[in-house]
Amino acid sequence: MTLPGGLGWGRRFLMCPPEHFGVLYEINPWMHREVTVDLDRARDQWDGLVATLEEAGARVERLEPQPGLPDLVFTANAGMVNAGRFVPSRFRHPERGPEVPHFVAWFKAHGFAVEELPEGVSHEGAGDSLPFRGVFLSGYRYRSDAGAHGPLSRLLGAPVRPVELADPRLYHLDLTFCPLDQRRALVAPHCWDAYGRRVVEALVPEPIVLDDDDVLAFCANSVVVGNRIVMPACPPPLGRRLEAAGFEVAVTPVDEFVKAGGACRCLTLALDVALPPVGPTGRRESGAPPATSGPAAPPPTG
Amino acid sequence: MGRPSEVFEVDGHIIDSLILAKVLDVILDAGADYRMLDVEIGRTNVDPSRARLEVTAPDDGTLAALVAELQVHGANRVATGEAETVAAEADGVLPVGFYSTTNLPTQVCLGGSWVDVENPEMDCGLVLTPEGRARTLPMHRVRKGDAVVTGCSGVRVQPLDRPRGASPFEFMTSEVSSEKPKNLLVGQVADRIRRAKAVGGRILAVCGPAVIHTGAGPCLASLVRAGTVDVLFAGNGFAAHDIESNVLGTSLGMPLTDRPAAEGGHSNHLRVINEVRRRGSIAAAVADGYVASGVMYECVTRSVPFVLGGSLRDDGPLPDVLTDVVEAADAMRALVPGVAVALMLASTLHAIATGNVLPAGVETFCVDINQAVVTKLTDRGSHQALGIVTDVGLFLQTLSDHLA
Repeated sequence: MTLPGGLGWGRRFLMCPPEHFGVLYEINPWMHREVTVDLDRARDQWDGLVATLEEAGARVERLEPQPGLPDLVFTANAGMVNAGRFVPSRFRHPERGPEVPHFVAWFKAHGFAVEELPEGVSHEGAGDSLPFRGVFLSGYRYRSDAGAHGPLSRLLGAPVRPVELADPRLYHLDLTFCPLDQRRALVAPHCWDAYGRRVVEALVPEPIVLDDDDVLAFCANSVVVGNRIVMPACPPPLGRRLEAAGFEVAVTPVDEFVKAGGACRCLTLALDVALPPVGPTGRRESGAPPATSGPAAPPPTG
Repeated sequence: MGRPSEVFEVDGHIIDSLILAKVLDVILDAGADYRMLDVEIGRTNVDPSRARLEVTAPDDGTLAALVAELQVHGANRVATGEAETVAAEADGVLPVGFYSTTNLPTQVCLGGSWVDVENPEMDCGLVLTPEGRARTLPMHRVRKGDAVVTGCSGVRVQPLDRPRGASPFEFMTSEVSSEKPKNLLVGQVADRIRRAKAVGGRILAVCGPAVIHTGAGPCLASLVRAGTVDVLFAGNGFAAHDIESNVLGTSLGMPLTDRPAAEGGHSNHLRVINEVRRRGSIAAAVADGYVASGVMYECVTRSVPFVLGGSLRDDGPLPDVLTDVVEAADAMRALVPGVAVALMLASTLHAIATGNVLPAGVETFCVDINQAVVTKLTDRGSHQALGIVTDVGLFLQTLSDHLA
């Protein structure tokens, strides 16, 4: 069931309990091994996030945690999902490579068709790729390769539009972009290069622009369920703008996970993304950037 | 060698995402240039698009930096792989599927790095030596067991730099035409000769008998005497009429001065050929004083190397004429290294034969009263040739004036 005007996805998520979570290595600017994770607090925060999502109307599936894989909690990086297809990530850092077989096993066991990216390109899944208005907007430079986007669109049967990230602290797209509904999204243009800004500007009819403080508080790393935005933090000015726009804000602290550079979005993977198939009659890739008044978004299918 | 270049491919929603625009900007910002080889736009908005572009950089360092930078944006170098070779199975026979060369600067991928082909020449095979060098070899010189490159993988040719702006080549951008201010063109040819000589380049003159018939012999002789011409290719006719005009004052029996036509002049060239044959060579005829002036005389006395290639309809021929055409072409090849400027002077057969053995980097000026000769030369692959449609006698006179 979806709300009219909602995203059309975000009712079913895969999450992994933080039994083995910790900062055991450093692969992003947020990670410092000397910072200790309070595992009990992490468990409470993770349970809190699950409860908030379920209360908003979402279903949460659980992946079995694995010893030695502390970042398996960040299921957003498992891969990309579209209409029952799953393309597992190819991680940039070898530390996360061993997570892949566990994700693949889960998706196979749950009836997804698993398609592999070619060797030699990195892509970190939904952490770097979010669906909006019929396309996947996809970040590249720090974790994902621009060269992955061609193969990804073929494997997913959906357009994948790369955007270059420009701030190493915001190394995944989901730290700078968050779709809210069919027309609105949280955007942090100062975190993208000039071409990327133009691409997002053309794609998002009504952007809600985040400032640097919002972004560094991981506000974009939120999960939207219907008209409720589940956020790790929300500075009051941003909260007022979101509420004025008709959204409910639910803040659920996940600061133990921010120690590893991830928040609400990173801890979840939407399983119900299904961009509409576009037949030969669909608009071909044009010579001009897409107009902001582009084709109306398809009806939600989730 | 020209400027280094690589082929890149970029794939995905490269238009809507402005990736293609960005890639092209990155190339230009780096001071490099690109040529779009092909673009495939996806049929629907789900189909990714694909573009292949050839990037030419000012130097290897810039290209290497670009390879790294473009990779970030998903534009990857197209792998070419190693050159494949097959051993020639017999003398004078290339393997099936041999790589047929152009006259452009060419490189072969050996052990992961690009090696320059030492002597670019069109319509040859490419042979790799055991020491890792690459040479063009005409079919007849291939020996059994030579490692001959087959197929196209691992071989790349570099287009000559496009003329830009006010470069010295600027005037070479248009087709051959008779509608050109001749004095200006000849002045620019003189300029190119001077520039080439200044850096030790050699000047080749390829001469047809019309040079002598039009009375330009003394002019060309003075260019040889002045050291402007370093190598000369011609046929039996040119040399015979040059000697005839200097010994008897006629060219094919026609007086070159205002004297009336001589009785029996039609046999004059036969008589001088006969006299040179009696002496054994043009050099011997110069040595004993029979030939005391002219182009061939200047070549002999100044030790300017020449090749006289024979043909079916030759009278005599002069003893210096190489009547085995394969041998003649090889003799011409031996004199090509170092040639920077070639002047094709009223010669059709020898100009085309010379065009066949010249690398594309040799600036070639084809001077003929007949536009078709120039067209013929470029149609046979010597695209670097600039045609000047004019009387060769007037051309040489004007060139001498410019060089004086």
